[in-house]
Amino acid sequence: MGLVYAILAMGIFISLRVLNIPDLTTEGSFGVGAIFGGIVGVSVHPFVSIPIALLSGACAGFITGFLQTKLRVHPVLAGIITMNMLYSVNLLLIHVATERLKGLKNTNLPFGKSAIFRMALDKLGLSSSSMSAVYVKSAILLAFVAIILLLLVLFFSTNTGLAIRATGNNADMVRAFSINVDRTKILGLCISNALVALSGTMCAQLSGYTDLNLNNGTLIRGLAAVILGCAIIRGGGILRGLIASVFGALIYQLLVAVVVRYQIFGANSSDMKSITLATVMALVLAAPAIRESFIRKKGGKDHAGN
Amino acid sequence: MLEINGICKTFAPGTVNQKVALQNLSLTVKDDDFITVIGSNGAGKSTLFNAICGTFFPDSGSVVLDGKDITYEKEHRRARKIGRVFQDPMRGTAPDMTIEENLALAYTRSRVNPFAPALNTKNRALFREYAARFDMGLEDRMKTRVGLLSGGQRQVVTLLMCTMVTPRLLLLDEHTAALDPATAQKIMEITKQVVAENSIPTLMITHNISQALTTGTRTVMMDSGSIMFETGGEDRARMSVEDLLAKYKENKRETLEDDRILLS
Repeated sequence: MGLVYAILAMGIFISLRVLNIPDLTTEGSFGVGAIFGGIVGVSVHPFVSIPIALLSGACAGFITGFLQTKLRVHPVLAGIITMNMLYSVNLLLIHVATERLKGLKNTNLPFGKSAIFRMALDKLGLSSSSMSAVYVKSAILLAFVAIILLLLVLFFSTNTGLAIRATGNNADMVRAFSINVDRTKILGLCISNALVALSGTMCAQLSGYTDLNLNNGTLIRGLAAVILGCAIIRGGGILRGLIASVFGALIYQLLVAVVVRYQIFGANSSDMKSITLATVMALVLAAPAIRESFIRKKGGKDHAGN
Repeated sequence: MLEINGICKTFAPGTVNQKVALQNLSLTVKDDDFITVIGSNGAGKSTLFNAICGTFFPDSGSVVLDGKDITYEKEHRRARKIGRVFQDPMRGTAPDMTIEENLALAYTRSRVNPFAPALNTKNRALFREYAARFDMGLEDRMKTRVGLLSGGQRQVVTLLMCTMVTPRLLLLDEHTAALDPATAQKIMEITKQVVAENSIPTLMITHNISQALTTGTRTVMMDSGSIMFETGGEDRARMSVEDLLAKYKENKRETLEDDRILLS
């Protein structure tokens, strides 16, 4: 599951760190990936769900980007608008799909035998509950993450990729070098949300069902992964940042697992996980400020100017 | 050649904050011109640059570059032909990217394939060669993040980025004002060298009046959004800072406390 969120984290890394835009579309595009991708996976073929998820996510990113740049809507509001639009779209999609396939309206659609992971396991003749099944699933996801990482690193070293990175860094300067900033922003958001949607469909495939509520808490999870990862692995560079995001996602999932497994908050641990992790995140974010005030109290050098 | 024909711009018209920034201003920059622009704060120097770059559109008048009317062309479109260096060294470069990445970005102005790798052996060598010409040790730091460079070095990188693909017009907006005197002088020399080598038509804003008279080919003094007077050739060569100030007073009959301080 951590590896699924690694894809999500890489998507969020692109909007948050590379483009420097807080993109709330994420929550919606994860859902659209899970549901649209999931429906196509059940009704057409599981592999088709991957391009469909990428495409639908890119569309979501495009809408947000268009609102932000051409219509000059505030980035956060643009994300919220798209997210809400996508909620309706998802609701409609799942209703239509369940009615067609199962004969009654529902917000939950099980995959049965047609998820990518289930197919792979059947080919290898493994039962889905065995231990080696976990390894196979992990290996498939790991390959996915590695391919995406490689493609992204290559892309961000092209002229277009460079322009996207510079847009988040200093948009004025990019405009001064005759590059259409609106276009680079939209493109960046498309890529970011395509990845998020891919992560959504992978999440659905792994869970074996798709559901209207699968996307709950996606945004905070992805943000936590990026922030945790970047706090541990510091330094610039796209490669480092992406790797940091992947690690952040894994660490986050590990933390959740620890909290739930060892019942750190008693029987309600799984209810409490959100608040725990929000606290952890706040602490990580606040760490530099806390350290600084500590140094100043000890009469150390004043770092405020640096 | 740049021709500015009677442009006007009024900010916040019809309100108490109404401000006439440009008043029927006309100016022609010929291909071999290096014009220095002086004038007190609020005279409209930067506004003029903004109108040329398309940061806003003028209320009336036209801007013509190489015979093409660019008055209402989009900012990033006309930027293909215009290079601009700001006073603030932070504005012209992307701090989290390396020197060579910044240069590669500037190089995209020469219409490259958008999906080709931005840096390959060939253009890496090219960028190194360009950087080496300025003798600032930048060629050995090509993989350094620009954010770690000093203001002077960043300004050199910006200047290099602006002129690497030779622009049809170079705008320098007090680009040495934020630097220490020694670095400022060095940057000025580099500027002159680059402009002369590529014969780029140039407009330079400065607050240093003696520099304004000794650099370039013509000097333009602006006041209240229009050109108060301009001088070039022998007239300008004979003119001293005092003459210029006398001329300003004659035109304006106001004390020049601020500008006197700047001259000392």
